[in-house]
Amino acid sequence: MNQDTKKTAVTLYGRVNVPQERCRVNFCTDMEKSVLMSNFERRSWHQVSQDDEWNFYWASTQTCRNLFSVESGYRMNDNQMINHFPNHYELSRKDLLVKNIKRYRKDLEREGSPLAEKAEVVLHGGQVVTRYVHLDFIPVTFVLPADYNMFVEEYRKSPQSTWIMKPCGKSQGTGIFLINKLSKLKKWSREAKAPFHPQLSKESYVISRYIDNPLLIGGKKFDLRLYVLVTSFRPLKAYLFQLGFCRFCTVKYDTSVTELDNMYVHLTNVSVQKHGGDYNSIHGGKMSVQNLRLFLEGTRGRAVTETLFASIQWLIVHSLKAVSSVMANDRHCYECYGYDIIIDNQLKPWLVEVNASPSLTSTTVNDRIMKYKLIDNMLSVVLPPDGIPDVRWNKVPNSESLGNFDLLIDEEFIDKDDGTNIGGRSVKHSKK
Amino acid sequence: MESIKDDAIHNTAMKLAEELKNLSIYKSIYSDVQKLVSSPNVNKEDFKQSLQQAMKEKGLDTKLRNTVFHWVRTQGKQSKLDPLTSLSKASLQWEKRIHKSLNSMCSDLETSLAKIRSQSEQEELTEKWNELSTYSLDLSKYRPVYAPKDFLDVLLTLSGYVPFTREDEPKWEFSHLPLQVKNLEQLRKIYVEWSNGEPLLGVNPNMPSTVPGFATLEAERIGLGERVSALGYAPVIQEFLKKGSPQCLRAKLWSQVLGAEVKQQQIAYFNQLQKSVLEVDLMIDKLIFKDVQLTASNDDQYFVFEDLLYQVMLCFSRDGEVLSRARSSALTVPVRGRNERTAFPPSGVVPFHGFTMYATPFCYLYDDPVQLYYIFRGFYIRYWHRLHYISTHPQGIVSLCLLYERLLEAHEPLLWIHFRNININPIRVVFKWIMRAFSGHLPPDQLLLLWDAILGYDCLEVLPLLAVAILSFRKENIFQVNTLQNVDAVLADLSTISVVPLLQLALMKS
Ligand SMILES: Nc1ncnc2c1ncn2[C@@H]1O[C@H](COP(=O)(O)OP(=O)(O)OP(=O)(O)O)[C@@H](O)[C@H]1O
Repeated sequence: MNQDTKKTAVTLYGRVNVPQERCRVNFCTDMEKSVLMSNFERRSWHQVSQDDEWNFYWASTQTCRNLFSVESGYRMNDNQMINHFPNHYELSRKDLLVKNIKRYRKDLEREGSPLAEKAEVVLHGGQVVTRYVHLDFIPVTFVLPADYNMFVEEYRKSPQSTWIMKPCGKSQGTGIFLINKLSKLKKWSREAKAPFHPQLSKESYVISRYIDNPLLIGGKKFDLRLYVLVTSFRPLKAYLFQLGFCRFCTVKYDTSVTELDNMYVHLTNVSVQKHGGDYNSIHGGKMSVQNLRLFLEGTRGRAVTETLFASIQWLIVHSLKAVSSVMANDRHCYECYGYDIIIDNQLKPWLVEVNASPSLTSTTVNDRIMKYKLIDNMLSVVLPPDGIPDVRWNKVPNSESLGNFDLLIDEEFIDKDDGTNIGGRSVKHSKK
Repeated sequence: MESIKDDAIHNTAMKLAEELKNLSIYKSIYSDVQKLVSSPNVNKEDFKQSLQQAMKEKGLDTKLRNTVFHWVRTQGKQSKLDPLTSLSKASLQWEKRIHKSLNSMCSDLETSLAKIRSQSEQEELTEKWNELSTYSLDLSKYRPVYAPKDFLDVLLTLSGYVPFTREDEPKWEFSHLPLQVKNLEQLRKIYVEWSNGEPLLGVNPNMPSTVPGFATLEAERIGLGERVSALGYAPVIQEFLKKGSPQCLRAKLWSQVLGAEVKQQQIAYFNQLQKSVLEVDLMIDKLIFKDVQLTASNDDQYFVFEDLLYQVMLCFSRDGEVLSRARSSALTVPVRGRNERTAFPPSGVVPFHGFTMYATPFCYLYDDPVQLYYIFRGFYIRYWHRLHYISTHPQGIVSLCLLYERLLEAHEPLLWIHFRNININPIRVVFKWIMRAFSGHLPPDQLLLLWDAILGYDCLEVLPLLAVAILSFRKENIFQVNTLQNVDAVLADLSTISVVPLLQLALMKS
């Protein structure tokens, strides 16, 4: 933090107050979710329609793309903000994310950056493969049908491993299945190309190495949902919300082949688990990240826990850097991403997916409290201290308005300081 | 003079040596010493010196000291007759009531208290031992035998046993009981590190350390904690816990203080308990399943540990050592299908609604059921049993309630009057906290800090003290409301409470 912000942080105590009467903020929203509406109401904002003069738009990704499209001819003024970057899909589409990360690594390698260092590692099946030392945070992934040959080559290296197939454009676990034999994939592609499934043949899939050694708690698989707020991609400014959660499967993890098709064992999506007979609507299979940390520190020790959480921050920062050059860095935009991360039993985190519209539906009471805070804190980070959208503002919130967000990275300050702390390794750890 | 003292020490040592021979650990210590004696480190010329030295080097010295330490703790607890015979009468009546209601539940449901499991049942249970949540049981007709509220109602009748209640005082006060409890000044002398304002974990871990070489208080505590843990001397570790343990060392330190380390022998004993669960079906088992379901399974902090908790709680009910060390008597009933009788339950403990909460927080420290078991049992035998039996023990629930009352009246007189005005007995709004040692009410990280203090100071007075501190912290909101329901609402959510600062504030002189 530089001297000036420090000073304002000291003098400005308490929450940033929203001026009540003077200049009302006009908001527009595509979804009237209660955690959104109650936050807007608390700030005494005024709801208007899309055609009116709005200052703050909570839009669907579709609306956002339309607004920014050349045909719409819409131009935003300095007092307007919107919750998506026009080409967020560079991060949130499964195939593009992989493509961008692969390119990012190649670019660093070409520059001779130490970040792109490679080394041989032994997989737990015994094979030796070459991997990036610092940037190996997504499971090996290929886009199908395009990379089919490359996939087959990789497949042959360790034919006993399991792969997960996911349609690029779908979510909530739809269309996902596991594969442990090449023949099953061939069968699938024959069927998909069959004339009576013309719509399927166009759809592309990603196929990723299935993480078959997830960390289990109480014998169950889980993944992490973390919220990451980006207020700018160039320079990169990103924040991590402390109150993420773990989503647990309702049934015990079981790698036996007979359970390969049982999605209650393998997929942690709430939308999938909800349909299981064992779903509990009081806790919804969700445990807080703070409690995960407490558990890991208590049972595994401190050093490995700290390393895990530092690697998670590292992973987030580099996934963002991987897309920062291709993102349309419009000043009116900010975006809150839902990061899905799986931790394996070696306590290594893996990035599974990034959602540009993480669910704001509350499944439990605690979920509602947490999401209410998420929106509240997010608003105070993205808005200038007077609470009125203004793209001329320098996007440096004072430390009080961060709430439960921790600063992950602000390249503006790194550049100003001395440029040594590139990446996320030296960012401060979440306050406990 | 000297010689008398010497004699006394000699006699104590002799007695101790005799007692040690009866302990289960004796055999292994004895054979370790034998091995040492035959090693080159010990020589005949200087036998005593060299043996002592060798024992120190091998850690046998610490083992022996800890054994004595733990043995001393178990002494003097053999229930002497309760001085307040009225209380022991009440206690007896209450237990009779519990057993009666167990019996009537049994006949209503047309089952028996104890019976041999059928072969198929045994097999299914064995197969599902690691995921008992999938063991299907129809529990819809089972109800917890009693809840904290019922127990409180019984406690509140206690003063009725005392002849000299004054007319003008409400009947509900525990102050009618002729029991001695400490006042705040005396508590300050016990929790001296806290009342002196010494830096404690649980306030701000990043606060700068006063010890050279450490950046933060947390780093300092970790450094020191690692050293005391390596030393392994239980009383020193206990001392360390007074100022809070770092989470990463807690599992180790707690098991060292309680002497609950798991060795081959403990594993064998646990397996024995498991076997007994698999063989005999006690009606209590259903109540245990029900309780885990009602508490842990529905709690976002503990649901992931559900399967672990079934194992631990079921085994606990079969543990005869609990009966002999924490209780004195239990019902015995015939086992249907076998020509024998069993104590019912063998542990002597009939779970109440929320009983599982005594074990849940340990899930954040141990993921092995056996370790979890011995820590839970250790805590139960030392502390938790006092929270749900009627006795005059200074650490018992009656004394703790009385302490709460005295503290509230003395230090929050306005609140006290408010409660009187709205005709609510102030114990009602905090009783479940105290009875469950705050488990299920505080988030696990805060709870573990609180339990550090219980172990460190080896007493339960922090429970009523914290209850008063929370009330005092929320008093402005309490003044606004005047029904029991609304006071409960003000106190329902403790997720934002920071235990250590609140307690330290209460203990420091203003
Ligand atoms: N490589 C992998 N290894 C193991 N499990 C995986 C892997 N990829 C995905 N999963 C599991 O499958 C679930 C669904 O995956 P993913 O989030 O990519 O799909 P989605 O259908 O887009 O879901 P969402 O609703 O989160 O958008 C994940 O939550 C995770 O539990």
